[in-house]
Amino acid sequence: MATGTTRRPWASWTATTAWSVSASLLLVGGLAVLAGLVDLIDTGADTPTLLTAGSGMCIAGVLLYARVERPDNTRPADILAATTLAMTLAILLVAAIYLLTGAAQRPDDALFEATTGITTTAMSVLDPAILGDGMRFLRAGTQWAGGFAALLVGIVILPFFGFGREFADRSRSGGYHPLAPDEWSATRNIAKLYVPGTILIWIGYALAGKGPFDALLLAMSTISTGGFTNSPDEFADASVQWVAILGMFLAGSSMVTLWHLIVGRGGLHRQTGLMLYLGMHIAGALLLMLWSTGDGMDSVRQTLFVVAASVSTTGFPMRIPHGWGAAAPVLLLLLVSIGAMSGSAGGGLQIRQHRALMKLAVREMARQLHPRAVLKVRLAGRVAGENTLRQIVVLQFLFVAVVFGTAFLVAIFGLDLSSSLSAAVHATATAGPVRALDGSLVDPGTWSRPVRLALLPAMIFGRLSIYPAVVALASLLNLLRSKTRLRRRYRARVHGRNL
Amino acid sequence: MSRPRPRWTTTTGHVTGIALLFVAAGMFASAIIEAASGTDGQAMILASVLTALPGVTLWLWTRPGSLDRATVFTAVAGTWLVVSAFGALPYLLAGTFQRGEIGPLEVLADAIFESVSGFSCTGSTVFGSHNLIADQGPGILIYRQFTQWIGGMGIVLLVVTVLPALRASGLGLIGAEAPGEGGDRLAPRMAQTARRFWYVYVGLTALITTALLAAGMTPFDAVAHAFTTASTGGFSTRDSSIGYWDSVAVEMVIMIGLLMGGANFTLHSRSISSRRPVHMKDAEFRSYIWLLTGATLVVTVLLMDDGMGMTRALRSAAFNVVTLGTSGGFGNATGPGSNGDFVRWAAGPQLVLLLLLVSGGCTGSTSGGVKVMRLTVGISHARRTLRSIRHPRAVLPVRHGSGTLAEPLVERIAGFMVVYGMLVVSGTLVVAALGTDLVTALGGVIGSLGNMGPALNKAGPTASFVDGFTAPARTVLALLMLIGRLELFPMLLMLVTPYRALQDGVRSPHS
Repeated sequence: MATGTTRRPWASWTATTAWSVSASLLLVGGLAVLAGLVDLIDTGADTPTLLTAGSGMCIAGVLLYARVERPDNTRPADILAATTLAMTLAILLVAAIYLLTGAAQRPDDALFEATTGITTTAMSVLDPAILGDGMRFLRAGTQWAGGFAALLVGIVILPFFGFGREFADRSRSGGYHPLAPDEWSATRNIAKLYVPGTILIWIGYALAGKGPFDALLLAMSTISTGGFTNSPDEFADASVQWVAILGMFLAGSSMVTLWHLIVGRGGLHRQTGLMLYLGMHIAGALLLMLWSTGDGMDSVRQTLFVVAASVSTTGFPMRIPHGWGAAAPVLLLLLVSIGAMSGSAGGGLQIRQHRALMKLAVREMARQLHPRAVLKVRLAGRVAGENTLRQIVVLQFLFVAVVFGTAFLVAIFGLDLSSSLSAAVHATATAGPVRALDGSLVDPGTWSRPVRLALLPAMIFGRLSIYPAVVALASLLNLLRSKTRLRRRYRARVHGRNL
Repeated sequence: MSRPRPRWTTTTGHVTGIALLFVAAGMFASAIIEAASGTDGQAMILASVLTALPGVTLWLWTRPGSLDRATVFTAVAGTWLVVSAFGALPYLLAGTFQRGEIGPLEVLADAIFESVSGFSCTGSTVFGSHNLIADQGPGILIYRQFTQWIGGMGIVLLVVTVLPALRASGLGLIGAEAPGEGGDRLAPRMAQTARRFWYVYVGLTALITTALLAAGMTPFDAVAHAFTTASTGGFSTRDSSIGYWDSVAVEMVIMIGLLMGGANFTLHSRSISSRRPVHMKDAEFRSYIWLLTGATLVVTVLLMDDGMGMTRALRSAAFNVVTLGTSGGFGNATGPGSNGDFVRWAAGPQLVLLLLLVSGGCTGSTSGGVKVMRLTVGISHARRTLRSIRHPRAVLPVRHGSGTLAEPLVERIAGFMVVYGMLVVSGTLVVAALGTDLVTALGGVIGSLGNMGPALNKAGPTASFVDGFTAPARTVLALLMLIGRLELFPMLLMLVTPYRALQDGVRSPHS
């Protein structure tokens, strides 16, 4: 009997690896093609390079995607590892484009700029004034794509394949449309919010007086909590500042919460996470005003701007023109590490995780008094599983470990103690420019190259909410270990024969 | 026939009363030393009388009752608070912290800070260039050392040795005060267990005294430093701490003493009873030694990279790693900017020291910090969680050494870490809001919670806490020292019993 010509499905890790490579090729290739076309509006100097590189990547991506045979069963760990691989590869591809176009002269500068772009960390070593429109679009585009990827990680990939399954918004009870009934619908629904959000902020900036192209780039950086700017005096105008404050607040809000508000699932008062997020802004601004010496409306607006940039982890730069108390940088570091709402493009440990930790702390105290009591923790209206709570505790542990490890590395490479801690927190929270203790902004260009390179892993870990990156690292180590075992077995066999 | 005197049933009051008597006895002994060659003898005798009076009253007019967990926390935390408050009397009456430019409230805050730092074995001090240790009489100095010695093993543990009436409740009291996860029984009766711990402690102190004498200290300094080495406290009778002697032999004795003090006393006791060392069979002790060795090597390499000679780097690194890793808090800096002054080191080695400020020594030791066992369990827990993501259906236990830990214990440790993290973050914010920079505030809070002693930046080994922190900030730090010494929960939950009593009183005012 003939065996037929059907192709065998690929193994889970092979298929997910191929998908991740293909996705990153398509994403960066698509961005490069668009940037090449945009560059035509300007001088068009980078157009040939961008179009050639972009189309090459797209073709390679499509060819690879077409070759993959869907595996029978995709393992969650493989998907998490593939997510990390996709992000890393995208960073490398963007860095290659920076080098090819001459936007960055050195590979480490290109890598740093690409990483801060994709991970939406607002630390830049390139001067946007000397870049053409195409490259500026690509630069903002990397942040926009990174923000979308962060949403996918937070709303789809982690709840479906990692931790916090109970928080995946998939329930159709009550006749409501959930945001994430399945993976593909979730992606579509997120895009339905993300794209209009970008357009809304674009219009806002345009109405505030920005030129259409600059407004678009700024909107892309705002909605993604990226924080790249086009010029040092980007936010000189008060109305632009107000649009940025609202945009940053929107970008740091949970897409799940926004979806619930849009489809009418619960009123504003029932969105505890959003209320806490708003409360953080208000409390942060009040404390900052208390600890500084400025007064007047300008001071209030600038303080709100700084707080919104910190809480949403956007990191748009804003100098503090007035007195700056010793507690102010500590407060901002705290706000940055708490971060935005879960299910947003913002970074940090995120508000839901902090709520869980606080409730866990209270439960632990209650358990000290009643050791045998069964005490559940409720989050977002649902009982959080013990496994999820465990994972949140470990996430906190890993977050601190990444911050500490990064601070140690950059300290070895020459930063002082407070700058090391601050840079590590900002990188892990993907929050952008580091502030010195007097409130002034630190230019990452003044750091040594090893310091900048040492910050990159923390940005990737932070952008992926740590777990996928750690799982990828563990998979890599396991792979290396299994290879080593194979060699050992081979050696043992050869040795046995010789004997 | 005379009727028996009516006694109020309150374990908190009874335990506090006896604890005050012990402290008064220590004050009196110090007062005799002060009277012999100092100027504050009378003030210290008055302080001991003022401490003994409420102690005797409480001892005679109260009796211990049964204890639920909330009452245990109230009893232990209450005892520590009262003892720390009365412990400040000698400083106040002798005018130790009286300076021309500060008001009475700040003097009170300084006295309480020094007392809390003593009893909690933290070793942070408000003495400094403005108020030299060298200017103090021997009585005050030895009293300061004594507060650390009595606090090292635990005031309540001392009380339990003379209070057999507590029976099973003694275990709860010891557990609430003991560093780490619960207390080990060394003998069938709790009072016997407590006594055995004290025998080991006294023996260790005697051993360190002898070694310090042999290393060249005077008898007074040797006893004084043995008190604060066995207790991993860190107070010294000299302004430049151990740096005053600039002696390798003295530093070696102190380091070995601190290592012993930072190890589990159950291991010491078992080693003595079995006449062979059992320390290396204990997983936590092995991790403790590995951690300190690794940290010493890393810091040595980084200091050498920074231009320090190998011998100097190794000496400075080993001493400071051991003294901070065991929560000792001594300094071997001979002056600001010298090799041992770690706040002048590069940021890399300082970050290693910051990690050690968190870790502390072993459970069941006199040291502070999170404890090595909790850290290793935390790492094991993290590894298990990561493996569970890769293998969602696998049943994965958390291992510690060769054993498997029960899930409630793992959850308890995780809960502890969460509460600890929150206290560090909120404490840093509060201390910074009271006028301290980020690094000093963070170092001060971690150091206080872990009962470590010196902090970073402005509160380093050659500085006074007066230089780094305002008076309100120092008061916050003192509170954190007590919270840390009692392993967080007793202090945080000490008001539950009074609150319940108040609620009952409101509900049934006539009963």
